[in-house]
Amino acid sequence: MIKYLNPSYIFNLTGKILSLVKFFIIPIVIVGIIFSLFLSPEDYIQGDAVRIMYVHVPAAWISLLCFGTLSLLCVINFIFKIKSMSLIFKSLAPIGLTFNIIAILTGSLWGQPTWGTWWAWDARITSMLILMFFYIAFILSYKFIKDPLNSSKICTLISLAGLINLVIIKYSVIWWSTLHQPASVNLTGETTIHISMLIPLCVMLLAFLLYSALIFLMKYRIETIRVKKKGLK
Amino acid sequence: MINFEILFMNGYGVYVWPSFIFTFVICLGFYLKTNKALKKLEKDFIKEAESLSKQEFENLKKQKIAKEILVSHSKN
Repeated sequence: MIKYLNPSYIFNLTGKILSLVKFFIIPIVIVGIIFSLFLSPEDYIQGDAVRIMYVHVPAAWISLLCFGTLSLLCVINFIFKIKSMSLIFKSLAPIGLTFNIIAILTGSLWGQPTWGTWWAWDARITSMLILMFFYIAFILSYKFIKDPLNSSKICTLISLAGLINLVIIKYSVIWWSTLHQPASVNLTGETTIHISMLIPLCVMLLAFLLYSALIFLMKYRIETIRVKKKGLK
Repeated sequence: MINFEILFMNGYGVYVWPSFIFTFVICLGFYLKTNKALKKLEKDFIKEAESLSKQEFENLKKQKIAKEILVSHSKN
């Protein structure tokens, strides 16, 4: 187990996985675009506007997944002080922020034709915006607080506070009356979305996950080289 | 001949296309920025490594991560 957490083992692994991800990503993105823009059917109420879902929903999911993972890693790092954990969460945060911004922008573009407004202070949208501020605060904390112990403490605090916000995002459509509909895709319950729309959604999710993996691996290498470079001086 | 109906999407094209374009421009920009930073950092690392004494450079090459950086950069 210790071997798998060793930075040199992870660094070596990132090189191998990186080439693999680069090989698969372009064909999957192309298939995803063809499915979501041309092959999937239009919605009987929303018409072609539903196609925005294929970028909006995976982006929102990945943004939540990144924050959840980095919160967990922050807590582990805070308790066990594992060197590679901080490298991992520093690599994950910019990816989560990017997808958070994509989710907000595409959500706004989807809101205009379906709700008649670019923006509404609805519970789901507002909590997603708050998540963006958590991401920014988190990134600024590890970038500008030089003392590693203080930086780790503040990052853990921000991530724990953000974790409460994740729960609010998830249940906002149930707790409050919002413009957003309840979840159509459920891992544990019934999935109400039709298979002809579920397939493009899954392909786009896979494409975004591969993209996230690609950026994560590159970011991880950047953070590791940065640490190594400091050691040379 | 371009099928304008596909581009127009019953009037929703003005929302759908920008959504996809925004997403892919942001993703591509982020990828290019990250790739550039990685290449620059690898280059700087090698430059600094080469400025070390022969003995220090040999010791550095024994470290797994440093060895991997030197090898991966020479491949590119």
